[in-house]
Amino acid sequence: MKLAGSISLPASPDEVWLLLTDSSRLAKLLPGCERLEPDGPDRFKAAVKFGIAAITGKYAGSLEFAEKKPPHSLVLKMDGKGLPGFVQGQGRIELTPTAAGTELTYSGEAQVGGVIASVGQRMLDAAARKIVQQFFDSAKAELASLKAPAAAPGARAKSARKANR
Amino acid sequence: MTTTFIGKPLKRKEDPRLIQGISHYVDDFNLAGMHYAAFLRSPYAHAKIRSVDLSKARRASGVVLALSGADVDGAIQPVPCAAQIPDMKSGARPVLARDRVLFVGEAVAVVVATDRYSARDALDLIEVDYEPLTPVVNPEKAIAKGAAPLHPGQKDNIAFKWELEGGDLKAAFKSADKIIKQRIVNQRLIPVPIETRGVLADYQPGEGQLTVWSATQIPHLLRTQIASMLNFPETQVHVVAPEVGGGFGSKLNVYPEEALVAYLAIQLGKPVKWTESRRENFQATIHGRDQIDDFEVAVKKDGTILGLRCHVIADLGAYYQLLTPLIPTLTGLMMTGCYKIPAARMEITGVFTNKMATDAYRGAGRPEATYLIERVMDIVAAELKKDPVEIRRKNFPQPKDFPYATPTGLIYDSGDYQKALDLALKVADYKKLRQDQARLRKQGRYMGIGVSTYVEICGMGPSSAMPAGGWESATVRVEPTGRVAVMTGSSPHGQGQETSFAQMGADILGIDPSQIQVVHGDTSIVPYGIGTFGSRATAVGGTAVYKSLQKVKDKLARIAAHILEAKPERMVFADGKIFAKESPKKSVAFGQAVSAAYVAKTLPADMEPGLEATTFFEPANFTYPFGTHICVVEIDAETGDVKIVRYVAVDDCGNVINPLLVEGQVQGGIVQSVGQAIFEEAVYDEQGQLITGELMDYALPRASDMCWIETERTVTPTPVNPLGVKGVGEAGTIGATPALAGAVADALAPFGIHHVDMPFKREKMWQLMHKNGRRVQ
Amino acid sequence: MIPAAFEYHAPKTLDEALRLVERHGDEAKLLAGGHSLLPLMKLRLAAPRYVIDIGHLRGMSYIREENGRIAIGALTTHSEIENSELLATKCPLLCQTASQIGDVQVRNRGTIGGSLAHADPGADYPAAILALDAELIAANTSGTRTIAARDFFVDMLTTQLHPGEILTQIRVAPRTELSGAAYEKLHQPASGFAIVGVAANILLGEGGKSIERAAIGITGLAAKAFRAEAVERALTGKTISDKLIEDASRGATEGVEPLSDLHASGEYRREMARVFTRRAISRAIEAARGGPSRGRA
Repeated sequence: MKLAGSISLPASPDEVWLLLTDSSRLAKLLPGCERLEPDGPDRFKAAVKFGIAAITGKYAGSLEFAEKKPPHSLVLKMDGKGLPGFVQGQGRIELTPTAAGTELTYSGEAQVGGVIASVGQRMLDAAARKIVQQFFDSAKAELASLKAPAAAPGARAKSARKANR
Repeated sequence: MTTTFIGKPLKRKEDPRLIQGISHYVDDFNLAGMHYAAFLRSPYAHAKIRSVDLSKARRASGVVLALSGADVDGAIQPVPCAAQIPDMKSGARPVLARDRVLFVGEAVAVVVATDRYSARDALDLIEVDYEPLTPVVNPEKAIAKGAAPLHPGQKDNIAFKWELEGGDLKAAFKSADKIIKQRIVNQRLIPVPIETRGVLADYQPGEGQLTVWSATQIPHLLRTQIASMLNFPETQVHVVAPEVGGGFGSKLNVYPEEALVAYLAIQLGKPVKWTESRRENFQATIHGRDQIDDFEVAVKKDGTILGLRCHVIADLGAYYQLLTPLIPTLTGLMMTGCYKIPAARMEITGVFTNKMATDAYRGAGRPEATYLIERVMDIVAAELKKDPVEIRRKNFPQPKDFPYATPTGLIYDSGDYQKALDLALKVADYKKLRQDQARLRKQGRYMGIGVSTYVEICGMGPSSAMPAGGWESATVRVEPTGRVAVMTGSSPHGQGQETSFAQMGADILGIDPSQIQVVHGDTSIVPYGIGTFGSRATAVGGTAVYKSLQKVKDKLARIAAHILEAKPERMVFADGKIFAKESPKKSVAFGQAVSAAYVAKTLPADMEPGLEATTFFEPANFTYPFGTHICVVEIDAETGDVKIVRYVAVDDCGNVINPLLVEGQVQGGIVQSVGQAIFEEAVYDEQGQLITGELMDYALPRASDMCWIETERTVTPTPVNPLGVKGVGEAGTIGATPALAGAVADALAPFGIHHVDMPFKREKMWQLMHKNGRRVQ
Repeated sequence: MIPAAFEYHAPKTLDEALRLVERHGDEAKLLAGGHSLLPLMKLRLAAPRYVIDIGHLRGMSYIREENGRIAIGALTTHSEIENSELLATKCPLLCQTASQIGDVQVRNRGTIGGSLAHADPGADYPAAILALDAELIAANTSGTRTIAARDFFVDMLTTQLHPGEILTQIRVAPRTELSGAAYEKLHQPASGFAIVGVAANILLGEGGKSIERAAIGITGLAAKAFRAEAVERALTGKTISDKLIEDASRGATEGVEPLSDLHASGEYRREMARVFTRRAISRAIEAARGGPSRGRA
């Protein structure tokens, strides 16, 4: 399953970089993140509860930063295991300065195994896109609130493009 | 023998109890103190197992036992493989994974609890530490240089190579006017019987008696294998196949769960039951087909086929099941189909991949063969711009050529392929269909006509050609009350032999079929038998029944003759009476003669009392049914939807005992073929996840997807058995798939397309018509 | 296929049910026909702590006329809707839509309320209730509120319903003279869900030559069902022609991110949305003119 897209963020690449690489702030952005604890340099233990409506699953796993080039790009690696199976993914995030702040582009791949993979085909892509979008929406809202605490949360992320798995 | 019942469409004796839901499948049995097993299965296609921690599961409420692979190592032998190919590598499947898992769904641990819920809950408490490895999913990549072998210690993923050659292939290709090459793919299918597998085992320690109820097609072979796998005395093992809700070959096997559940019952001294879920059935019960065929055919301009060679990549999955390596070799044997092709060669590369094993699925290797040769004929016709019917007719052997020897070493018993073809063409009104097609094409509508002329190999048998014996047994016992028990070693599971064997008994003994009870599936009651598969139950099992009936009849004739003071050879059996042909008024009631055998006061001097006979019938050859199927489809150019407009099937399965049963087999088989052709495909993603993991995503054909199937028959009896019957259980899946594929390719001919791989899903058709395809004609 | 443990409640009255959902909030799931919830629970993809079986509530299964509108109880089954004589004359679109859901067994168990509240992206009813501008009545312990169909669907499996609310009724306007509707669906062959399902509800102008008003609901194409406003705009006030319908149907996918799965790529879904929009509009016009599509499919 491939995921790619972009979003413009109302902050400089440096500010975006700080947000994404600060585990305590990142934990608040990750949908369903219940815990994110350091586990070595650029590595964290994570407990996440993913879900849509009644369909939920708890995953325990790790999150890792690699190929860090502040404030330009980094690779985010994630893997988790839970009762519904396992999730593995990695994605490259690139930050480009723009007049309005930063254009963030992302592209990555995720693998899912277990029950979700065998019965969830119909909704998997859309669910993954939704989770990614929630993440970037939260990031945008967070950055916007720093700029203008009273402002309304930003618009939704630009549509995520993806290829079929 | 007068045929009052044989050949008549009697309704199935089995149906009232099945329709009312009052008979018993494995899951319907409940024993006092019964426990339940649940299996933890791998979510990874390929991984090392670092550790399995069962401690939490063992402490859970209701749990009485939890075992991992290490706990049963050495105690239970791996899954047996009866098929042997020279130099094949080992690929034995352990009953529980030990150090590594090789496919999604492989059992890693088992839990037994006092109820189903506790057993299932405990699975969630098991912690397995996996180290994921790169899965090998695509069979071509699996055998490419540098691909890591699945099985440690092996140098690559080639399980075996097998080849077969006959005739002068070099000369054939040298003298050809044209050589045509094509790759065709026979996709992986999931058998999907309505009843999933299930096992119930009960052990009585005092008697040392183990009873296993299993949804199996082969109760006796299973008994032998369970005894071997557990090193348990076979005389103390009793296997029962109760009602079995379909198998299609998927229950012609021996599975880890069968041995494990028996083992658990012995360990605990408690009955243990396991019922497979649909998801488990998809992941861990055998799959079918999965071949990539690259063929080259040498032809003359006039359409004469001179030679055919084919390389097959057979995706075996991760391990061997009972017959895994054998299946593609059947494709080799039947590769020349119903044509006089002087030279042929097949090479098969059997490949290990991180998937469930493939094995026998309705037709087992022969649908693949028919699909191959029929696609060859259609593609040759298209390339030479000839009518597909003409090409076929040109290459048929003549009726006088039988018995006909193929270059692959088979002897076809009897056949009249022209007759079946002619009848099908007449029923379908082929000429008119072609006119309709031309008219519709002008309107921009895409109608296609597919013709498949097939021959299949049935009545498996003979033992010399079978991995585990090809004979069959039957005992006929007339009870003192005059009721007749027919005990067959075949184990029907939907085929209807309780009815057809009763029809045979009724005609031979001159009584009503209601007086006859056909008993099967219980190893303590019926003599050792081979089972029901390979369209053999009637041709081989039925012949054993026939012979035992004849033996009992002969004895009754002697008894009646003795009473009537007449000659035994003059005795006639009719309407429940036995009498001399010349004086029908002076008769002995059937029951009276039977009673005499048991009371034993008026028997001929040299006769033993009792009335029972057993036969172990060994057939001299296979049987070769044949036929012609014609299919008409129309493809909606806007959506790519393939609609079956007409279907004509002419099948020749030799003599027919019950035409209703034959009709049912033919119709069911055709619909199953529609499944393969249009809907079904087991899809593993690149990570080896089975993403068609449930019926939500794996589409089966439905009644509404079919048009009415017009069936006809020709009758060419076989000389191989005294009944003249050939077998029909797989004819539908063998004859129909190529007719459907031919029709679809024919519909797409205006786009310059000669071949499309199955399944003909809408989007694929739509892409072909809108993107790659430019209308060229 | 054994669900995790849960606490089962079978209230007999709506008040009792509302008190239960209020108490248990999002730890509770409502069980109506059970065709979506139970499979998820058996696969353990869903493990609600409380299951409140509203299948026993009295008076929630009906189809009747109320103040000039048709009111349908949330527990009315698909087969009851499919076979309703009242709907066949007053709102045939719902009969047509219901008749294309799943198979006979599903239609005998599944309920309109359950289907709408679950908001499966491939469910059939959402297209129809959008095209009908239906009203959905939701109740909680303090009263009821009315939600317009257009506002009801929020995202995949997500609706405007709050925890503590139960969908109780669906209201639609009866068809009028010169109006016609049709539901056209490309079904996923395994599950029967809509790969694309289009409900068109058309009101013709005097004389039946032009389109006065068009409402097009589309399901299956995207994460949630939606109204194809571009198509509606292109049709409204125009004189009917094949070209008009063809051109208007191209707007079906405007601004839509199509779903993509094993059964249909986004590209194919997009194309099918156009094809089935065209077919639905044509049949709806035919029905409005008193053609054969007036009744059931």
